[in-house]
Amino acid sequence: MANADGGAYSYSLTVFSPSGKLVQIEHALAAVAQGTTSLGIKATNGIVIATEKKTSSILIDDSVIDKVAVICPNIGIVYSGMGPDFRILVTKARKSAQAYWKLYGTYPPTRVLTQEIATVMQQATQSGGVRPYGVSLLVAGWDSHRGQTLYQVDPSGSFWAWKASAIGKNMVNAKTFLEKRYNDDISLEDAIHTALLTLKEGFEGQMTEKTIEIGVVTVPTPQELEEENKDGATGRVKPTFRKLSEEEVRDYLAL
Amino acid sequence: MVSLAQQQPIQQSFNPYTENGGTILAVSGADFSVIAGDTRQSEGYNIQTRYAPKVFKLTDKAVLAVNGFAADGNMFVKKVKQRLEWYRHAHAKDMPIRSIARLIQTMLYARRFFPYYVYNILGGIEEDGTGAVYSFDPVGSYEREACRAAGAAQSLVQPFLDNQIYFKNQTPAPGTSFPQHLPLQTVLALVIDSFTGATERHIEVGDGLEMYVVLSRGSTALQSLQSIRGVQEITATNDGERVFVIRKELKKD
Amino acid sequence: MDYNGGSVIAMLGKDCVAIAADLRLGNQALGISADFQRVFPITDRIYLGLPGLATDVATLYERFRFRVNMYTIKEGREIEPETFAHLVSSTLYERRFGPYFVEPVMAGISRTPTGKIKPFIAATDLIGCLNFAKDFVVAGTASQKLYGVAEGLWEPDLEPEDLFETISQTMLNAVDRDAFSGWGAVVHVITKDKVVTRTLKGRMD
Repeated sequence: MANADGGAYSYSLTVFSPSGKLVQIEHALAAVAQGTTSLGIKATNGIVIATEKKTSSILIDDSVIDKVAVICPNIGIVYSGMGPDFRILVTKARKSAQAYWKLYGTYPPTRVLTQEIATVMQQATQSGGVRPYGVSLLVAGWDSHRGQTLYQVDPSGSFWAWKASAIGKNMVNAKTFLEKRYNDDISLEDAIHTALLTLKEGFEGQMTEKTIEIGVVTVPTPQELEEENKDGATGRVKPTFRKLSEEEVRDYLAL
Repeated sequence: MVSLAQQQPIQQSFNPYTENGGTILAVSGADFSVIAGDTRQSEGYNIQTRYAPKVFKLTDKAVLAVNGFAADGNMFVKKVKQRLEWYRHAHAKDMPIRSIARLIQTMLYARRFFPYYVYNILGGIEEDGTGAVYSFDPVGSYEREACRAAGAAQSLVQPFLDNQIYFKNQTPAPGTSFPQHLPLQTVLALVIDSFTGATERHIEVGDGLEMYVVLSRGSTALQSLQSIRGVQEITATNDGERVFVIRKELKKD
Repeated sequence: MDYNGGSVIAMLGKDCVAIAADLRLGNQALGISADFQRVFPITDRIYLGLPGLATDVATLYERFRFRVNMYTIKEGREIEPETFAHLVSSTLYERRFGPYFVEPVMAGISRTPTGKIKPFIAATDLIGCLNFAKDFVVAGTASQKLYGVAEGLWEPDLEPEDLFETISQTMLNAVDRDAFSGWGAVVHVITKDKVVTRTLKGRMD
């Protein structure tokens, strides 16, 4: 017997315990549950994803830590759990988005990219010599097919679409809070404020533009859509996902 | 350092021919003939000149268009003109167009084994007053036709002419039939369309367009010709046939 | 490219597109079949013409079918013409240094994100260089002739029936001057709610 909770099964990733669980995945979820809280809210005209950015020492320069990552012009993700694992997934997701662009001349729809990331995470639960990724993700994006969509991906590789969700340390409380606050015709501005209020619930210490990160999806106007979302000079796609600058975050916190 | 043993003898060769691009085209009507050519002369991707005529008035009833190797073309026209002058001295009249056609065949075939590298199209008025077009290959095979395109954009223009002049692949409305000959206005419009089309899609065609119009004695096409801007008469004799030239700009890119 | 012969043309009209191809399959100068289909439906709204080496026509069609089916299942939607054009391009560029001897021509109707109708045509060379034209695209052994006739006959904003007449006359007269194309033709006129397919009789010489 290796240890108390999983017994001999807790070491081998690919062997089911008699109760039908893969114990390593449960451990990975535990790692996520220790991570800082992240949340996402889908609004009528966009999506907000937000996270707490906590550092273990005041000496750390937190301006270079990125917890909300841009994957491609229409998709961004945020995580709770292990930072290094997240970075690997960000790199893989970005490569996948570029590969899609090379093949089809457009960036992937949110669902397709989410599925791609989920596949990567699932493979880590079934391959030899590896451990599952110690993160849960919130994927927010816009595409012409499904509009704005918000997904959550777990270490097991499962994923769901949400109207609003939270992951990490305070997820249970945060979700309860969101359930109370959410309604189907919330605007992006209201969603951003709701996101900040939700984060504030379980926040340890001072909430400032230095200690939180926000990313938003904005739904393009019909006029912008007709212009094919292209920047005339560079031919690049006009982004529908962007991170809010520290100034913007400060302004939202002040309200 | 290249050793002497490795040096290979290099075979130098002189190629007496070049291809100078451009396109020519001729259409005959009931009592007129239109002979046209663009004025660009090129060698490979270089434009040597934007104005090098390929269409030449031989007599008041015959116009010759030459396309292919420009040096050969110019020399050939010069020699034809010389033979026509000798004919005038001997017979005190212009050579009839069907005789010019036969003369051209003889002259081309005389050089069967070192040919003039040119495609000729001869247009004008027959002795019976009808419009005529004769087309030749470089060694003198020829035939009389109603229309012909030759040169760089032949493959672009000829099927268009088949459709619009011979009405190929078209069925007349029940109880009607297609005309044997088209009016001058229609022909000129088709010639212009052919050349603008060829200019658009072929790099060797463009710059300028020269359209020669030969009218038979008392041709009714005269009125429609006079309404065209920039038409210039270049008739030399009082025999009755009249020759006009219309110049137009084509795209220069 | 002229081992089996064959030509395709696609034209843009007013809220409609048309694609036409000849029906000849040859072995060099010898005619083999007068019923060789080289235009394939990809979706209800996209047609693909593949002039070139017949064996590659068959192989590529199957590859595109596979890739489009995978796309449809994965994305849960039909592929858009623009996206399909990029798919064709990348599929061909995969074989940059040992290409399929095929020059695809595409025609379709796409819907803009705001729901408007946008007719679409495109062509690529044998290694996938895309050409999104606003008038017409041609390919195959009669391409030069097709260019010449189309340049003379085509005009903007043709209605479906006029577009059919224009593309048919262009095709028929161009292939009659080409030894490797002809033996009849097929024309598809695609509008927002239907596709009209007609088979044309042509010269059999």
